[in-house]
Amino acid sequence: MSQMLSPDMTIAAEAAAKAKIEVKNLNFYYGQSKALKDITLSLPERSVTAFIGPSGCGKSTLLRVFNRIYELYPKQTAEGQVLLDGKNVLDRSQDLNLLRTKIGMVFQKPTPFPMSIYENIAFGVRLYEKISKSEMDGRVEQALKRAALWNEVKDKLNASGLSLSGGQQQRLCIARTVAVKPEVILLDEPASALDPLSTAKIEELIDELQADYTIVIVTHNMQQAARVSKQTAFMYLGELVEFDRTEKIFTSPREKRTQDYITGRFG
Amino acid sequence: MGEHTVASFDEDLGQISRLISDMGDLAGSMVGGATKALLNSDNALAQRVVSDDAIMDARQRELDDRAITLIAKRQPMADDLRHVVGSIRMAGDLERIGDLAKNIAKRVGTVGLSVTPRDLSNSIDTMAQLVLIQVQGVIEEYAAHDANALATLRANDERIDIKYTSVFRELLTYMMEDPRNITACTHLLFCAKNLERIGDHVTNIAENAYYVLTGTQLPANRPKQDETAMAAPAA
Repeated sequence: MSQMLSPDMTIAAEAAAKAKIEVKNLNFYYGQSKALKDITLSLPERSVTAFIGPSGCGKSTLLRVFNRIYELYPKQTAEGQVLLDGKNVLDRSQDLNLLRTKIGMVFQKPTPFPMSIYENIAFGVRLYEKISKSEMDGRVEQALKRAALWNEVKDKLNASGLSLSGGQQQRLCIARTVAVKPEVILLDEPASALDPLSTAKIEELIDELQADYTIVIVTHNMQQAARVSKQTAFMYLGELVEFDRTEKIFTSPREKRTQDYITGRFG
Repeated sequence: MGEHTVASFDEDLGQISRLISDMGDLAGSMVGGATKALLNSDNALAQRVVSDDAIMDARQRELDDRAITLIAKRQPMADDLRHVVGSIRMAGDLERIGDLAKNIAKRVGTVGLSVTPRDLSNSIDTMAQLVLIQVQGVIEEYAAHDANALATLRANDERIDIKYTSVFRELLTYMMEDPRNITACTHLLFCAKNLERIGDHVTNIAENAYYVLTGTQLPANRPKQDETAMAAPAA
């Protein structure tokens, strides 16, 4: 029985923070190959958690288990528990559409739909809710404001989402995610294809969004993980090596493997 | 410690380590030279210590440049980050040790012209030996990555503080015995105070070095003994 690994939080307020997602003894397989090995960790609510580790360590796989997006592909199986507010999302009875409204996801490459900026956001909302045109207008505006994109696109809502710059497209994707009112936002390398200014805007956005959402970010950029997250998990070869407060991980990690990785000493 | 994937990163860190080691050696030789010059009224040696301070300052500037460039270029993390930031701070303390040694050296001429400094400076000699051991030790233990030895060394500063209190009392007594001693003794008091301050900088270095090596801070409450504020001259 492995012990629940949660960041060693000293501040009382943080200690009181409720776990939004609890992962218990999670194993994941791509066919025969085991990609996640007995992962157990607890992600606090309304807080940013970063997953770091070398390519192939399982960090994106772990992210993809949270909203069961892996099920889009054959021969991928998860064992164990992923509790969202105490309810196991891996249960067969889990409604996948409902799960994916609660847990939104943004990918490395911006993926706007080939439709107008307005429709990019309204499209997802319409799948789950029937609301009037004026309500939808409000919802679109709110989502674009939330994603710090409103001022740049308010005069061209009917222009194609594809006409925007890469950084704007990524913020559009975040706006689309936010519009369906999720509880958790998963960000898989959201800024790795963006220039520094767009990256800064995304990071600023993450900082603002954590007041309302539980955010999980996968990133190869260590400085980014150090800047945006409150706790950081280091993964290696499918194992969770170390999970602690971000300051601790980046100034004096407990495990040698973490130290070697973040200081650039890995083979 | 393993090597970085980027080999030039190791070279950059190595240069910073070498500068700290050089500055430590120089600090030891300046403190040793300054007290020797004081005790032997050796003006030539004192002059050398004074001019060494310029070398010390140049080393510190070089270290600052290298450390800041390294941070900008490589964004060090964890032990590398502690190493670079700790080195900047240690270099600051070493530079101050150089200043204080220079200050002792500058007094050599004045004390030398006064009456019988040799009789008055025996206990300063003992104190200076304690300080020198600390200065040399802290750089050695850091280079040897011996965190426990650094913690012990830091605690040993108490001996210097106790010695300083006794030197203070002794010099005060000499001054009361014969007012002609006042000029020399006042200068010697400043020298003793400088030595005591050097000891404090060594404890700072030990604390920083300990943090660099372990990632944890030594407890704040180091034993402290400076009773000169209430010391009355021995009757």
